Amino acid sequence: MTDPRVTRLLDEATKLRLSRRSILRRGTALGLSAAAVSPILAATGKAAPARAPFSIRQERSLNILQATYFVPEGQEAFTRLATDWGGQNNVSVTTDYVAWPDLQPRIAAAVEGGAGADVIEMWDTWPYLYQENMVPVQELAETVGERYGGYYEWVPLTAAVDGQWYSVPHGSSSVAYAYRISLLEEAGLADPKNNFPKTYEELFAVGKTLKEMGKPLGQALGQSLGDPPAFAYAYMWSYGAMEREEDGTTIAFNKPEFVEGMNTFIQAWGDAYDETGLSWDDGANNRAFLSDQISATINGSSIYLAAQGAAEGASTLDYEVQVDPADIWHAAYPAGPAGQFCQLGSRSHAAMSYSANQEAAVEFLDHFYQEDVFIPWLEAQKGYLIPMAPGYAENEMYTGDPTLAPYPAVSSYARNKGYAGPADQKAAEASARYIVVNAFAQAVQNGDAQAAIEQAASQLERVYGG
Amino acid sequence: MSVVPASVKPKPAVAALDVPRGRSRWWDREAPLAYLFMVPGALLLILFMAYPFGLGIYLSLTDKMVGFADFDFIGLENYQYLLRDRVFHQTVVNTFVYGFVTVPFKLVLGLGLALVLNQRFRLSSAIRAGLLLPWIVPTAISSLAWLMLFDPVLSPISWVLREWGLITQNVNFLGDRVNAMASLCLANVWRGIPFFAISILAGLQAVPQELHEAAALDGASSWQRFRSVTLPTIRTIVVIATLFSIIWTFADFQLIYVLTKGGPANGTHVFGTYAYQTMGYSALGQAASVALSMFPFLAIFAALLLRQLRSED
Repeated sequence: MTDPRVTRLLDEATKLRLSRRSILRRGTALGLSAAAVSPILAATGKAAPARAPFSIRQERSLNILQATYFVPEGQEAFTRLATDWGGQNNVSVTTDYVAWPDLQPRIAAAVEGGAGADVIEMWDTWPYLYQENMVPVQELAETVGERYGGYYEWVPLTAAVDGQWYSVPHGSSSVAYAYRISLLEEAGLADPKNNFPKTYEELFAVGKTLKEMGKPLGQALGQSLGDPPAFAYAYMWSYGAMEREEDGTTIAFNKPEFVEGMNTFIQAWGDAYDETGLSWDDGANNRAFLSDQISATINGSSIYLAAQGAAEGASTLDYEVQVDPADIWHAAYPAGPAGQFCQLGSRSHAAMSYSANQEAAVEFLDHFYQEDVFIPWLEAQKGYLIPMAPGYAENEMYTGDPTLAPYPAVSSYARNKGYAGPADQKAAEASARYIVVNAFAQAVQNGDAQAAIEQAASQLERVYGG
Repeated sequence: MSVVPASVKPKPAVAALDVPRGRSRWWDREAPLAYLFMVPGALLLILFMAYPFGLGIYLSLTDKMVGFADFDFIGLENYQYLLRDRVFHQTVVNTFVYGFVTVPFKLVLGLGLALVLNQRFRLSSAIRAGLLLPWIVPTAISSLAWLMLFDPVLSPISWVLREWGLITQNVNFLGDRVNAMASLCLANVWRGIPFFAISILAGLQAVPQELHEAAALDGASSWQRFRSVTLPTIRTIVVIATLFSIIWTFADFQLIYVLTKGGPANGTHVFGTYAYQTMGYSALGQAASVALSMFPFLAIFAALLLRQLRSED
């Protein structure tokens, strides 16, 4: 049975002789996907193919906005593939890359002003915030998901809006423990490659020795979007707490077992960690590790890849890398009494509905997620972005280098921000306020786990409306 | 003695205007002309100051979210929320600490510098010009330089202290609440001294030399001359510079955002950075209420400033 909205749009397009752009806009307003609109475009008199012989060829334009890549080769690959596509399709393509903390303000300015980039990289929770300004791409997202074997569970929970797709996911930068084999061995750990601590308490015990050696553990706890929440959310879940229960409003943060876990962490912070970590952002732990200041940290694979680049004489960093990549190994997150967890949120690309170039934007996304384009782009990032679907998890970029194996494996124990609810607007607020991260930062500063957790719980209460 | 022929009447000093008495053109009258000259400035103020300010007040009374067309008028709910918000309370305290710790330092150091620069010595003009550099360099750029100095890993200060054997671990400039606030204050003082120094220097150069000479002849010491001659003369300019500096420091954003983003654990948030963080989850109405909360404080300072200016008149 034909969707009545499609019939209505077809009728309007025929009677009013709507232009392609008007049809797309009207289709968006009616909530139709690009795929649903395309037969109408083809069927109506003013569709581009019919006009082509008589029209002067007009060049379209497309501006794509993304966060800066931690693996520069990936950024170069994206720029190249986007401009190549533009050249083939007579679209003038420009690409902008901004620092991670600057991406969201740019999006906010664009959607509020109704002008800006045509395609934007979204991070988890943001589709909930900007859905009214994103072109629905249900069919395209579903097609891409099917193409790669169906999305992992954490992907729709973090990139879709209540099951509706307004952007097409492409995975996430992943996190695992990066550590120095030689230092852990020196600290008394036998066979560190296969014997990384399995629990936080074991990790803190080794960390104490490492700190005595002058090479402490490192953990970013500053107000930053990447590594601080990657640790704080995981640790919270591992010690039995979470932001809210499944009902979405009951706060489950102030749990005795978590208070106990926080006390353990407070002790470990002084005994085992580099205490300057309270001011670290997502790049500071990379610098500390590669400058031989710390022995282990939670991070994406960028530390290892940067060390490899430096060893090959192709460093892109503005400081000297003092660590041999052969001395770096990775391990999965340790577990706590409640289990092993990590926090993941899929990134995605959205075509923006305020754009006059929606058609080109959707066409580009369709092209970008084709296997012969998407997979080489991921390969250029050497496995830094983990798969959003199992269909390419066996690709050599993930399996070829055994030291990177823990990165794609995190999918099996991942949860989203806002758990046990979805990564929705409220989860975005809790995340942007750094409530969970600051509970840790406050606890280690004041030494009072109970007070820090109670304060954070009351903030969560106000956010989730419990 | 010259004689003026009776037939030659002296010409008026100003060429006679061909305007009937009592019917001068409107632009020849001072008041309308004054209003005319004010129009461009007033329009700019209305467009770029009054309108955004009014819009800000309106938004602060709504639940407007960025990117959502629909929103509701919610009265003072956003402000009531702030009254119960511990982070906001901390923000207010931080702002006062930041403002009232830095301004006295800027004043005293700026005054001292101005007194030194008021002396004539070799290259004094070049040094006066160079003094303005911290003030001229865009704050975002100078803040990045401070960020490098305070870096937890690559700080040159920590490196030097380690090399000298004075410390074993890098200095935790920005990872401790007290250190972070002290670091911010230091950078702010560095940036603010030139404003005081140049303002006061301008005042010092207006102090009549004869007064100093007369006081010296009467046997006044340097300190007595400074206290009884110099200070009263530059008093107005010191007060005005101080009030301006308090207002600017209260409204600071760039330095703090670049160095700490309000961390650690909200320990250095000021109104500007907290409003910006609130925008992180698109809550435009709430962010407007945070930003506008600094208005009463700034209004008080501005009123003091205007009162001072009037009293000096």
